[in-house]
Amino acid sequence: MAASNVSSVSLSLNDRLYAGLFALLVGGFLVFGAGLANSSVLHDTAHDTRHSYGFPCH
Amino acid sequence: MIVKYLLAALVAGLFSGALMTVAQEARVIPLILHAEEYEVEGGEAEPAAPAATGTEVQPEAEHSSLRIGAALSEVAEYLSPISVAHAHEGEHEEGGIMFGMSRFSGTLLANLVTGAGFALLLAGVSLVTGNAITVANGALWGAAGWLAVHLLPSIGLPPELPGFPAAELGDRQVWWVATVVLSAVGLYLVILKDGIAAKVAGIALIAAPQVYGAPQPADIASNVPAVLGAEFAVAALATTLFFWIVLGLSLGYANEKIAKAD
Repeated sequence: MAASNVSSVSLSLNDRLYAGLFALLVGGFLVFGAGLANSSVLHDTAHDTRHSYGFPCH
Repeated sequence: MIVKYLLAALVAGLFSGALMTVAQEARVIPLILHAEEYEVEGGEAEPAAPAATGTEVQPEAEHSSLRIGAALSEVAEYLSPISVAHAHEGEHEEGGIMFGMSRFSGTLLANLVTGAGFALLLAGVSLVTGNAITVANGALWGAAGWLAVHLLPSIGLPPELPGFPAAELGDRQVWWVATVVLSAVGLYLVILKDGIAAKVAGIALIAAPQVYGAPQPADIASNVPAVLGAEFAVAALATTLFFWIVLGLSLGYANEKIAKAD
């Protein structure tokens, strides 16, 4: 595997892919909920955060 | 083992989100509050506090260009006991901040969630591509994240203040998400892949959404002073750069302390 150099992640390839895809999925869900979801309650709660991070808002 | 990498990302993300909240208070939040004064004054953008006065406003009108909203907001603003700075909290009947929290708590919660989310995304890219994030390279990972999520998308859609004119929300969100994804893949090809073909393809991917162009509003007039907008754009980009550098470094540190502990 290409990542067998010094700085590679010490997991088997399969474990690494599963962990990585799972992290991407959960991370995407959290960012979507805080930054993009079209719910009034989420929008109002995260309002200043959305503006600060430059998420498209309003 | 997998759980440890995810735990490391969560710890780094929550830590960075908490620091981000402090950093926002320095410049970004005061500018947002300042801009909201103009937003309500002009009665331009959002209906202020209809809930407080019992005025009926359709929630769907929130992001559309209905002029009724503007007229109502002037009336509502006149009658409303809610201070200008907090006008957003009561702007529509179904809205309001979760669990009755204060505006600051809501922002803190959102920053923690966003921090954890970006940390998991960064860790996910690291795991899928097989390039570890360490203390030594963490700042560079963070900088790349900032380029993909903030600087490159803001070429087409600069960070907006409340009351700024903007194109339809859905269009902007689609363009924003597409640009973030294409920029991230492009940066991966440019930075981590060897070979001239990968570099050229990476640059092409980064340029593609910019060439296509972001959705722009038809009318760019705004009641919010231009100087505030310029100050906010720089402040927002600087603050998010701080967030991403902290995130990259703390993720590198957490990886070394938590994920490789045994």
